[in-house]
Amino acid sequence: MKNSIFIVLIFSFLLNVSCVTDQPCTQTKYVKLTVGFYHVNYNDTIYTRSSLNIDSLSVQGLIIDSLTGQYHLVDSILYKNKKNISSIDLPLNNNSSQSKFKLKFNTTLDTMTIYHTNLNDYLSLECGCIKTHSIDTIITTNHFIDSVRIIIHDVNTYNAENIRLYK
Amino acid sequence: MRRIFVYISSLLLCLAVNTAIAQKKKPIPIPPDSTRWLNGFTVQADVASLMTSTLMSHVTYSAEGGIQLDLKHRIFPTLELGVAGADKISTDNIGYKTNSLFERIGVDFNLRKRKIDSKPTNNLFIAGVRLGMSHFNYDVTNVTIADNYWGSSVPLNYLNQSVTKIWYEFVVGVQVEVIKNFYMGWTIRNKNLISQDALGKVAPWYIPGFGQNNGSSWGFNYTLGYHFGPGPKKKNSRTVQTLPNQIINNQITK
Repeated sequence: MKNSIFIVLIFSFLLNVSCVTDQPCTQTKYVKLTVGFYHVNYNDTIYTRSSLNIDSLSVQGLIIDSLTGQYHLVDSILYKNKKNISSIDLPLNNNSSQSKFKLKFNTTLDTMTIYHTNLNDYLSLECGCIKTHSIDTIITTNHFIDSVRIIIHDVNTYNAENIRLYK
Repeated sequence: MRRIFVYISSLLLCLAVNTAIAQKKKPIPIPPDSTRWLNGFTVQADVASLMTSTLMSHVTYSAEGGIQLDLKHRIFPTLELGVAGADKISTDNIGYKTNSLFERIGVDFNLRKRKIDSKPTNNLFIAGVRLGMSHFNYDVTNVTIADNYWGSSVPLNYLNQSVTKIWYEFVVGVQVEVIKNFYMGWTIRNKNLISQDALGKVAPWYIPGFGQNNGSSWGFNYTLGYHFGPGPKKKNSRTVQTLPNQIINNQITK
């Protein structure tokens, strides 16, 4: 009886200490804008939507130079000649209210500018903070892209299609 | 039909016999509880929290004590006060700092039933509940949001965040009188927060008096205490002990 009480005491004490040890972050912190590609078919006054596979796609960010006011390409390429692709995930700029991308569909170039509001989202001491975004407006050039539609304005860590690009 | 009549008549007979026996037996009167209502109070200090603080290298620290009233030697209203804090740097170099007072109010019940002819004792097996509260300020510093693609990140500091946290606790433990009026005891506590933090809010990592902010946590206290005032066994303890035996002896002689 005395032994069991002693064991309970030691166990409780260790439990008390272990409750405040470091824990790793288990939450996902990757905030992404998901873009889906679609083709619109028009057939006798009926519009139908179908997923579009792009044969070859390259995507790169464009960042404005604060001194010259000119856009230049971000060093890292997000997608480089990616084959047979129907959706992409893009990171939005945490420190700016606009994110601009150069999209190369096969051989045709387009740019897409996304205007967004950035929000700080604190997760925990272990995980820190993430920036989530709320899409305000999207402007594209129309060489390959026909139109764009915002499906979900909130950009966060969830797997959800935010915008649709129509050919 | 005849069978039913036999069943009913035998059942009535049994009931009649039982009632007759019961009428013959006189109930043994239970002696009135002569323990006085207020049996003084115990002032306690927690040793486990000091030891935990040392083991945790003062990343988290706390010191607490309490005062426990003794009512009828069965009910123990308790007030606990303490100071606790945390000074932590996470693996990602995020800092968390807080230091504040906390208080708990509650009641313990002595679950140990004393046999009528046993010696009175001040050793207790207790179970109880607490309602805890802490109003505190905290700082979360150097929160960086990495932007691996676009680059440049500015560290964020959330200073002087203020919050009030309320929680309830279930407590079980043991309290033993080691020498006259000097008590030692331990309790294990299951703590549960009443309100949760909203998603995205800069929530405190550590709550003084509660522990790490996980919704639920466990606590352990090892207390040393001194009892002031009369003990429960002093008054009428002899009467309580002898009264049932006298009654039983009287019945036997009858």
